[in-house]
Amino acid sequence: MRKLILGAVAAAALSATALTDTAQAFERTDDGIVIVFGGRQQVPVLDPHVRYDWSTRMMQQSIYDALFKYVGDPPEIEPWLAESWDVNEDASVWTFNLVEDATFHNGDPVDAEAVRYSFVRGLELNQGVAWMLADFLEPDGIEVVDDYTIRFNLSRPYAPFLSFLPWWYIVNPAEVMENEVDGDYGTEWMTENAAGSGPFTMGRWQQNVLYELVANEDYWRGWPQGEENRPAGIIYRIIREPAAQRAALQRGEIDIAEGLSSDDYGQIEDEPGIVIQNHAGMTTFGIKFNTQQGPTADINLRKAIAHAMDYDALIDIYNGDAVLQTSPFPQAIQGHIDVEGIPRQDMDLAREYLAQSEYPDGGIELDYYHVAGLEEARRIGLVLLSNLAELNIDVNIVPEQWPNMVAAGSSPESAPDMTSVFVTPVSTDPDAVAYQYHQNSWGQYFAMHFYENQELWDTISEARSLSDWDEREPLYAEIQEMIVEGTPEIFGMLQNRRWAHRDWLEGFQFSPVRFTGEVDLYPLWVDVE
Amino acid sequence: MLIYVARRLLLLVIMLLGLATITFAITNIAPGDPARLIAGPNATESMVETVRQQNGLDRPLIEQYVVYMTGLVQGDLGRSIVSTRPVVDELLRYFPATLELVVVAMGLGILFGVGFGIMSAVVRDSWFDHVVRIGSISGVALPAFWFGILLQLLFAVQMGWLPISGRLNLVTLPPDPITHFLLIDSLLQGRFDVFTQALSYIIMPAVVLSFPCLASILRVNRAEMIEALQSDFVLAAKANGLSAWRIVTVYALKNAMLPTVSIVGLRFGWMLGSTILVETVFDWPGIGLYAVESALYSDFKPVIGATLLIGFIFMIINFMVDLAYIWLDPRLRESG
Repeated sequence: MRKLILGAVAAAALSATALTDTAQAFERTDDGIVIVFGGRQQVPVLDPHVRYDWSTRMMQQSIYDALFKYVGDPPEIEPWLAESWDVNEDASVWTFNLVEDATFHNGDPVDAEAVRYSFVRGLELNQGVAWMLADFLEPDGIEVVDDYTIRFNLSRPYAPFLSFLPWWYIVNPAEVMENEVDGDYGTEWMTENAAGSGPFTMGRWQQNVLYELVANEDYWRGWPQGEENRPAGIIYRIIREPAAQRAALQRGEIDIAEGLSSDDYGQIEDEPGIVIQNHAGMTTFGIKFNTQQGPTADINLRKAIAHAMDYDALIDIYNGDAVLQTSPFPQAIQGHIDVEGIPRQDMDLAREYLAQSEYPDGGIELDYYHVAGLEEARRIGLVLLSNLAELNIDVNIVPEQWPNMVAAGSSPESAPDMTSVFVTPVSTDPDAVAYQYHQNSWGQYFAMHFYENQELWDTISEARSLSDWDEREPLYAEIQEMIVEGTPEIFGMLQNRRWAHRDWLEGFQFSPVRFTGEVDLYPLWVDVE
Repeated sequence: MLIYVARRLLLLVIMLLGLATITFAITNIAPGDPARLIAGPNATESMVETVRQQNGLDRPLIEQYVVYMTGLVQGDLGRSIVSTRPVVDELLRYFPATLELVVVAMGLGILFGVGFGIMSAVVRDSWFDHVVRIGSISGVALPAFWFGILLQLLFAVQMGWLPISGRLNLVTLPPDPITHFLLIDSLLQGRFDVFTQALSYIIMPAVVLSFPCLASILRVNRAEMIEALQSDFVLAAKANGLSAWRIVTVYALKNAMLPTVSIVGLRFGWMLGSTILVETVFDWPGIGLYAVESALYSDFKPVIGATLLIGFIFMIINFMVDLAYIWLDPRLRESG
């Protein structure tokens, strides 16, 4: 019987080793090199007029073209399908001349009718990007002037109009209409199919596993890395666990990864063959006060808390890969100023403000909500807890699922005392941030401060309606100062955007206006040398 | 016997409807506004309302329930608010991956659980027995996600023997779906390279998933085998000069299998439910992962669909275990 046991153990060990197989080089195919991007977030709906988040937009940006595109750091708006444009004096009529050599993947020309159809579709569907223009643009206001000229007659002047156009992708009307069912604008079909003109076409689309992009050899705009360096395609592979992502990068199973933890980035930055992209981002981290209900409705208490916060600790938590906010506007936003007097830690001043509040001796407990599982946000809560203990204020740290946090923040009655929130503006126009402090934004997660200030609201409304930047600029300076004075939140920091990639990957171009993990896949290539 | 089967089937339908009702209630009572979440962070009220109307979320809860249950009895589980696709289609897309993983894990669990259980009982209190018992305790105690990451670090990163995650190499085209099991389909189509590749991908998640099950089977089987080996009929068999192999595998094992079959049945259902962590760590595209991703978006219908599917299979397995009991134990058969 002992022989039997030993034999069985040996057989088991042999069978286990026989199955082992080293990871194969997977980037090389018969058509050329395929770059592999490891990301955590799926792409459930590809339709550019229905949904967007960073992973979805990264795919949309690769398959579709827009009239303009954000490039570079600081971000600039580069004409893409639009060749030139003209705007009237009050920024209510915008006319665009289109390039004439752009074609959709099936060979159809990208003309003014395609642009009109795409914008009408986006507005009529009333999802995804619609909010950007819905207040200013009616479907009837879009006019085809000739085959390659399109005009937008806005219902009222709106200077930031151009800054939103990079996110309005142009779809092929013929393909969409061909797949329309019961007047659905082809949404069912567009969920996992594409009708674009971008540098890539769709390859394999295995939901929740991988999304393959195939390079469009005949892309009308050509390839910036040169035909000889152009990749055959890109695979966006879903890897959810940061530990697994890191391991895949180290093993060479993926070429670029997003979403590693701060510690992971620190640990692999000196490894041979790994390059860390580390750039100042546009995503702000703030702790929103409920300015309508509870103790934080007291402005002196808010100021006391804002001056008790240890801001240096915010940077330490990100291992130095963050910069403090010097204004409610991120640095990359047009018109940003360093607001004088923006709170920094000063315990004497904090005690002074506390003495002027309704709670001069503290003795209160405040809730601090953060997204469950977001370790950095939890640690910031611990910093706050420690700092406020000196003011005899207790902090109750509450991890919460994101959907529940959004729901709680939809009204002043349910909004927590303090909520940690990351916000990424979708354009570089100052209105994209300023409007977060307007009454019309109440109910949105970034406006769960419910800050009330009629003068501020009027200034924001005025600034967004002016077309002359020289007139807008001083208003936005004023707006930034007014927001800081009201202390609707603790203005925290801008976390750096980071990616880790293998050193053979070239062409990475950062632009802060892109979303968190989003990368422009178009210029990437692999240096095989 | 037939009455017994009919009664159990009726009970199964009632329990499924009950499960659907409870899951529907829990998911809808939970805080969170899926429409707002799906509409996006900047969505206007009118946009949120559009999403609500499209998904029937603007109707009273009771009406939503009636519509859902009506659809359910017709095999319609509604649409995912995130992907906008029918939940049934998505479950069919993801389920084969989960089932393949669970079947392989269960196979490992039975093979090594029963095998080591027998060996451990035979050489009771030897060094082998002690090692196996310590291993079985670890199997129950180790958290799956932690164990999974450890295996990844060891076998994928350090040794480079196995791939980290996924089901197949990125540039390998999967075999045409026949059974939707990569291992079987690749063999059926003679694609042995794909078979070995699929095997190398499934081995780590299957080991992690099988470990607690293996440990349970092992412990139960060992205890039952020890009892069987000490019984009078084994003594009689020995006295009659039967070989040790025959006594263990034919006489003792059959008597020890009844509780083992029971635990295998229970563990199969448990495995289906616990694939969530394993699928997340290994990015295994199954229903566990699908349910988690949906829950994060408060996307209720896929969560209910996945729960019902797992519940249904759990009940069917239990039903089959009951039938197996009857087959294994003639006394139960006689009592009807």
